[in-house]
Amino acid sequence: MTIDAHPELPEFDYIRPATLMEASRFLAQHAGEARPLLGGTDIFVRMRDGFWHDKYLVDVKNLDGTGEIRFDPASGLSIGAGVNMNQVMASPDVQAHYPLLVEACRSVASYQLRTRATIAGNICNASPAGDTIGACLVLGGALKIHGVDGFREAPLTTFFLGPGKTVLRPGDVVTAVSFPLPPKGSAGTYYKLGRNKWSDLSIVGVTTYGYPDKTAASGYRFHIALASVAPVPLVVTSAQEYLASHPVGPDAFKEAARLAYDACQPIDDVRGSARYRKAMVRRLTEKGLVTVWAKIGG
Amino acid sequence: MATQATKRETPHPIGDSVPRVDAREKVTGSALFADDFQFGPGLLYARVKRSPHPHALIKRIDTSKARLLPGVKAVVTGADYPGMIGLYLTDRYIFCRDRVRYVGDPVAGVAAISEDIAEKAIDLIEVEYEPLPGVFDPEIGARPEAPLLHPDLGKYEVANFIFPKPGTNISNHFRIRKGDVEAAWPQCDVVIERTYRIPHVQHVPIEPHVATAKAEENGKVTLWGSSQSPFAQRNLIAKALGMSQSDVQVVAPYVGGGFGCKAGVSMEALAVTIAMKVRGRPVKLRLTREEEFHTAFVRQGLVSHFKMGCTKEGRLLAMEVRFYWDGGAYTEYGVNITRASGYSSTGPYEVPNVKTDSYCVYTNHPVGGPMRGFGMPEMHSGLEQCIDELALAINMDPVQFRKINCVKTGSTLVTGMKMHPTGLSECLVKAAEAIAWGRKDPPSAPNKRRGKGIALMWKAPAMPPNAGSSAKVALNEDGTVTVSVGGQEIGQGSFTIAAQMAAGSLGVPVEWVRVATPVNTDYSPYEWQTVASRLTWSMGNAVAAAGRDARKQILEMVAKAWSENPEDLDIIDGKVISYKSEESISLKNIVIYGIPLPNDQGWVGGPVLGRGNFMPTYVTGLDAETGQGPRAVVHYTTGAQAVEVEVDMDTGKVEILRGVAAFDVGKAINPDMVKAQMEGGFVQGLSTALFEGLQLKEGVLQNSSFVDYRIATSTDVPQSIQAIIVEVPQDDGPWGARGIGEHAMVPTIPAVANAIYDAIGVRVGAPPYTSEKVYLAMEEAGLV
Amino acid sequence: MSLHRIALTVNGEYEQVDVPSQMTLMQMLRDKLAFTGTKNGCNAGECGACTVLLNGEPVNSCMVLAVECGGAEILTVEGLARDGVLDPVQQAIIDHGGVQCGFCTPGILISSRALLDRQPDPSEDEIRQALVGNLCRCTGYLRIVDAVKDAASRQRAMAG
Repeated sequence: MTIDAHPELPEFDYIRPATLMEASRFLAQHAGEARPLLGGTDIFVRMRDGFWHDKYLVDVKNLDGTGEIRFDPASGLSIGAGVNMNQVMASPDVQAHYPLLVEACRSVASYQLRTRATIAGNICNASPAGDTIGACLVLGGALKIHGVDGFREAPLTTFFLGPGKTVLRPGDVVTAVSFPLPPKGSAGTYYKLGRNKWSDLSIVGVTTYGYPDKTAASGYRFHIALASVAPVPLVVTSAQEYLASHPVGPDAFKEAARLAYDACQPIDDVRGSARYRKAMVRRLTEKGLVTVWAKIGG
Repeated sequence: MATQATKRETPHPIGDSVPRVDAREKVTGSALFADDFQFGPGLLYARVKRSPHPHALIKRIDTSKARLLPGVKAVVTGADYPGMIGLYLTDRYIFCRDRVRYVGDPVAGVAAISEDIAEKAIDLIEVEYEPLPGVFDPEIGARPEAPLLHPDLGKYEVANFIFPKPGTNISNHFRIRKGDVEAAWPQCDVVIERTYRIPHVQHVPIEPHVATAKAEENGKVTLWGSSQSPFAQRNLIAKALGMSQSDVQVVAPYVGGGFGCKAGVSMEALAVTIAMKVRGRPVKLRLTREEEFHTAFVRQGLVSHFKMGCTKEGRLLAMEVRFYWDGGAYTEYGVNITRASGYSSTGPYEVPNVKTDSYCVYTNHPVGGPMRGFGMPEMHSGLEQCIDELALAINMDPVQFRKINCVKTGSTLVTGMKMHPTGLSECLVKAAEAIAWGRKDPPSAPNKRRGKGIALMWKAPAMPPNAGSSAKVALNEDGTVTVSVGGQEIGQGSFTIAAQMAAGSLGVPVEWVRVATPVNTDYSPYEWQTVASRLTWSMGNAVAAAGRDARKQILEMVAKAWSENPEDLDIIDGKVISYKSEESISLKNIVIYGIPLPNDQGWVGGPVLGRGNFMPTYVTGLDAETGQGPRAVVHYTTGAQAVEVEVDMDTGKVEILRGVAAFDVGKAINPDMVKAQMEGGFVQGLSTALFEGLQLKEGVLQNSSFVDYRIATSTDVPQSIQAIIVEVPQDDGPWGARGIGEHAMVPTIPAVANAIYDAIGVRVGAPPYTSEKVYLAMEEAGLV
Repeated sequence: MSLHRIALTVNGEYEQVDVPSQMTLMQMLRDKLAFTGTKNGCNAGECGACTVLLNGEPVNSCMVLAVECGGAEILTVEGLARDGVLDPVQQAIIDHGGVQCGFCTPGILISSRALLDRQPDPSEDEIRQALVGNLCRCTGYLRIVDAVKDAASRQRAMAG
């Protein structure tokens, strides 16, 4: 009950390591009482509400070049963990090649919050409502992680374990989110249903993405990711498979939407009821597929 | 009394849209609000221990551990302060003594050298509760078998126009018995019965409550706070503590939004009592935003039952109205909402047969207090939808139906009072015209539906019959003027109005006028409260009177010096001129030093200080059984709003495309500021129509932050809000003026609801009209 | 827990403060440096009343630690006017009647200033979106949006 929300942040120590290895070592040594800090927009709220009591916040912004966006026309995009969402939106490479990321970022909160918010932070916070997670999933995003044993990669598809729970271990610091080159002729859209026109958390969020693909029986592949209707950001594989194997068109979109309806497991909460959320998943999935289909030349 | 108004002269700057006098301070960040005062290193911080239970007995409080925490200077509980406090009914202890009645009810307070230590001390206070069954619905709470929340109701001090029912949870029952509704129903061609459950909402000022208090060794107490009511706070706190009003000084700077929540006394008494335990050091208490949602005044929830009937020609014949007001844990202020809604319970219509029962019911919910509209938005939300339904049931245009039945000059009102001159019909016609009533434009997309809706409103200032205002107008050496008032600048522009009225009544340019700020009860003249949309009218009368008093002193002085008649003199643009001799003299210096007589024969005059006051003297009581009486209220401001909406059939989302507001303000002293009130009120109304509702489950608030209590953002407001000023003068208003502040948000909910019905043919019920509510209503109706 | 000594620039002036780790930029500005123009409306990054420019970009100062601001350039509402001359956004909001209680105004002005710095000719939609994180309960926003549009055109005219 947030009447327990305190007027100020609790006491903690702010640590700024000079390198990723220093950061990972410190975090591992102080497992359970230290947390990596990027923008802080989720952490500070949780600490003031009394949910998190970390003794140390370890600032990992921009360590060892993690504050950059790099695009390679041969291999794809890498967004450093320290890059804030406004910077992502302003990047000419992101605008040109990954406009879905721009659309997803735009839906987050407000300009001043996006100056601090990062995609890496949005992912690590692992809220099923995370607005940029759907786009990252459908674009095939992967995380670059630095731990006590050095670097490793982790696909996003297996990253989320539950609300606020991920595969990260003590000492782990996400250093970048990377995306392969988008398939030729791809397009996507993010429909976010909030209470206000902009800036709210999502009641439901539907990311749809599609592109021509000769390896699919239907000639096209679609990706659908749902926010706020399951314990984790939900990829609707049943609908994706259906669309890959059936003739593309309004009937297929209706069926895919019905499959999304079946797949999602929303709850009743202050933002909306399960009944409404399911209905909206169905409607917005269909609408998203229709929109994407029009964009990719259908 | 009505001299200036009946002259119907409007000297500049009356009627001019002069820029706000406080604008530059506010845009440079130099305007001081209550949390901006610097108190130096001696400042202590307070925090409050609050009940987690909606209803419980307090069995034991142990503060011993808290007192021992280093840095703690004082710990206070209800045992320290036995006095009760309240505006219309003293039903509240400052800190709970024997029981708690809502989640957040204050149980103990701590002052410490930092907010953090005070927080830690709060956690060390142990309280043992015995939970009691709670009341969470006012209809259930009104039943005789409901758990009794205030067994001592019969012992509370109460204003003589409030009628509590001891032995029940009903702290006020207001009745209207007019004509004979039972005989009227058979004469109606259409009768409808509807129930509307209006949820609690809240004011949500962007500035949370903050109060700093200091108790001196000599017993004097100073309170600095974000306050709409410095004098009422002084009075109520002094009475509760057995002190003289002159020993309590309230300093009230600019208010960062009030809307009623900073009227009366709420958390300020906590700061004062904690400071009194400390002595000699200032103690600051500020509410977190979450505390604001949980514990500040709320707008009462309402269960409203309407039965109304009309003839097939469209004449309203009868209304039967029952209101169960969810008053919350304490109804010391909210009892008057029960009365105010009762004496306005027909809405702005002439209805010959009326039966109204308006009940204020104690519940274990947050404390209902004054919120913009004081019962009128809640009441009109359902009433104006019923009016639309009646019209449509007889196949009559809702605008036409309202034209027939709305109050006009001379109409007999629900209390028997005769309606004073009013421009309500003009507001209705102009609003309908401005929204292009009757024309349906195509929707912007195939999955959308468009609709238009209209609603009328009325409201009288709800206050004791003898609420008074006073003002001072002092002249300075250079001819500038300092106006002192007790009314507060809460954003509505009261200081600018005061400056304009002083300038207009004196005869000086408005740029020469300053308004003394902050309001300080030691130095500022008395003002009942900054509520009820009463300042322009009541404080305005006092300011104009003070200006005329100063003018009289100046003219008499100059007349004496010139051996002329004061009637031949005037003050124009800061100069005294004689129409007879064509002499003129600047106000400079003479307003302080007087005028030397010729040939060194002495002096005439002295420092000019104008004073004025205003208090209505003509409000009469109402019969306790029938609610009838010659003059229930001072006056009504009336108006209309119309909206055009678009409903998204895929999601249920309602978008407001355009809004129109037309209100009869008597005389717009500053037309641009009047329009700004109409726009701002419309948006606050829109916000309550589409987004707002306190979600209370068994007395526990589920949405206690901006994350889940949503208000309108810049992206939610329509493309345009057209504000139309209608001016039918108020006989005893300054230059004919009456108020607008609250009225601007009263009819928005029903206007939106009526527009949604026009768009999709479904009546969605009570607000907020969230996308979910609208979508599921469409689903139930088989539309989607 | 230790204090951090940070040096930074606020409104063009050098400042040096000792801050605990958990102190926010908002608290430092208001309580340590007496820049009370920046307001505390929610302390949760929702209302925007605490908006300042941090190295040229708007942030909710309640969501930034003071200790992160060593070497930073901060602009608060007190720094908008130069030598007594109001910034175009300040003048425009007065002229359009976009100030009522004034509590949201500092944050609104900072967000508007930053918008015009990055987009000298914003559309109405862009203005509304830029201000979505600045809640106002008094004005209804329309006059504020008009003021920003007007300030933009006045600025463009001055730039020649």
